[in-house]
Amino acid sequence: MLDIQMDRSDDGRVYIRLEGLVDFHSSPALRQKLHPLLTPDNQEIHMDLSGVTFMDSSGIATLVEGLQWSRAQSAKFTLSGLTEPVRDVFAMSKLDTVFDIVDALQK
Amino acid sequence: MVEVIANREGLGCVNANRLALAASELFANICSHGYKDRMGFIDVGFEIYPSELRIQFRDFGEPVICKSQLKGRELDDVRPGGLGLHLIHAAMDEVHHESLDDGNLWTLVWQLNPKGE
Repeated sequence: MLDIQMDRSDDGRVYIRLEGLVDFHSSPALRQKLHPLLTPDNQEIHMDLSGVTFMDSSGIATLVEGLQWSRAQSAKFTLSGLTEPVRDVFAMSKLDTVFDIVDALQK
Repeated sequence: MVEVIANREGLGCVNANRLALAASELFANICSHGYKDRMGFIDVGFEIYPSELRIQFRDFGEPVICKSQLKGRELDDVRPGGLGLHLIHAAMDEVHHESLDDGNLWTLVWQLNPKGE
């Protein structure tokens, strides 16, 4: 199960908090919510992953789409609150140095 | 089930997650590529030895015969897709595959002793 909470400010900043498992089953729902946000209208997307207990390659792939958007738009795509197992998956993917990963969101 | 065994064997949180991740990725891979998202059976077996854990997946989907299909992609190119097999190999100590006449036999091996578990 994955719970997705979103909050968008008037200045084009989007905060997304995920809670639960980001896997093969739930990633399509995350992608469906994230995709419409990957537009030039938004300048920053912050993903709070502190509630994520499991993430697989489909979850990583969904976040890579956000990363690609940020590079194409010169926008910010930040991840925060990675738990130890999730951070380990990023490290095994060799993507821990590619994403902008911070300890906590700066609202 | 994988997490239950991992916890019973005293693997820590990160290692238990690695084991669950590898099993989950292989399962997803068999569904997508072996069965091409059609219905099918997968027999899963666990063997626990003093020095290692083995998880076997027997599928009855399309046999994988091309070795390049068993490798993850190169990671230099940051893009979605192709990470699953890379993660399986990164998480496990050994990954074995055998093409059978009517499917595939996959064996994931986790060495217990070298990691101090």
